[in-house]
Amino acid sequence: MAFLKINNIAIQGVAACVPPKVEENKDLPFYAPGEAEQVIEATGIERRHVATEEITASDLCYRAAEELLSQLGWERDSIDLLAFVTQCPDYINLPNSFVVHEKLGLREDTMCVDYYHGCPGWVVGLSSVTSMVSSGVSIKRALLLDGDTCSKMQYANDREEKPLFGDAGTATAIEFVEGSSPLYFNIGTKSEDARALTKKVGGFRNPYTVASLKHELDMRSGLNSDFASTGKMDGMDVFSFAITKVPKSMKKLCSEFDVNIEEVDNLILHQANKLIIESIAKRMKVSLDHVPSSLKDYGNTTSVSVPLTMVVDRKNQLENAKQKNLACAFGTGLAWGAVYFETNRIVVPEVIIY
Amino acid sequence: MELKDFIEKFAEQFDDTDASEIKGDTVFKELDEWSSLIALSVIAMVDEEYDITIKGDDIRNSTTVEDLFNAVKAKA
Repeated sequence: MAFLKINNIAIQGVAACVPPKVEENKDLPFYAPGEAEQVIEATGIERRHVATEEITASDLCYRAAEELLSQLGWERDSIDLLAFVTQCPDYINLPNSFVVHEKLGLREDTMCVDYYHGCPGWVVGLSSVTSMVSSGVSIKRALLLDGDTCSKMQYANDREEKPLFGDAGTATAIEFVEGSSPLYFNIGTKSEDARALTKKVGGFRNPYTVASLKHELDMRSGLNSDFASTGKMDGMDVFSFAITKVPKSMKKLCSEFDVNIEEVDNLILHQANKLIIESIAKRMKVSLDHVPSSLKDYGNTTSVSVPLTMVVDRKNQLENAKQKNLACAFGTGLAWGAVYFETNRIVVPEVIIY
Repeated sequence: MELKDFIEKFAEQFDDTDASEIKGDTVFKELDEWSSLIALSVIAMVDEEYDITIKGDDIRNSTTVEDLFNAVKAKA
């Protein structure tokens, strides 16, 4: 059972950056009259920020990191660890943490590490980074960057996925502070259902051929809409996974560590869609006032959605009061990560438009 | 678990379809109002009412409401 309790960690700030281009769901070309409104009602997603070709996840995270460091007043030389969570790296063989390490001008002895993870990525990255920082031996300050530009691999005529996904990058500042209230984690995996969210072609198991690459590019541009060889998200399996495993994981976490769900200020859920979020909140018996959202204007931003939602919908509370937070992210794997963490007046810049 | 009770709860997931239209032998995917969203609310209903997790294949492999009832019952 993957439970973690991590001491001496303070989350000191969170920043987010999104690309400027906005795609409106009501303008998607494949809907019959009235259909877009139904989809918007069920998903809660009206529009999404999407990255144009020249903007990558590392660009968005770099901008978020710069702003966060400046508002925190952290010297670059004080960063001991730089971690990057993404499934959209700039390059095939250079992890994104190195790309940003150079741009930020960090020390040579700053540790760099990437986590290749889907939607639960921020929570999983946080568990790993805070574990390394908590010993306090030499790593005192860490930046956890988390960015994705999944809209770039969406298919133009995928009626199920196209209205969901948006792009964003975030930076989370983590510091060794003795005596901080502990972070609690529960992380799990249901790999038997991985098929529901797997992109099979283009990796090293099924490298692109001339034909499959052409097919992929035609699917993205909308010239082709034959999903037989590309596979599709299994929305029903993802939904049934999310509404059953996610509440159970959070309830287990609460009972293992004596967290009183009634005292939680913010239940920050992965922004899959409105139907999933409301179903989970109902099963947790938490009123929607305590469930922040970034769905309406940003959509499902994969692993980025938990930190982005903190910035979009809880900036004031996080900046001005102590907050008890329970977050759970879930998806690709199929996997999930739940974390309980308290914050004490942290730095949260306004969402940055790249 | 009763078929009659299951049919009632299944019918509650529809807004515009009269409950009297839905019976054990109804081919539910042919109902005008059937959609992927209703499929999700059926999954949620089964989890909530029976504490049973059904997946996409259970819905895809069922033709009538009774087929789906049997799939749910098999997991009880």
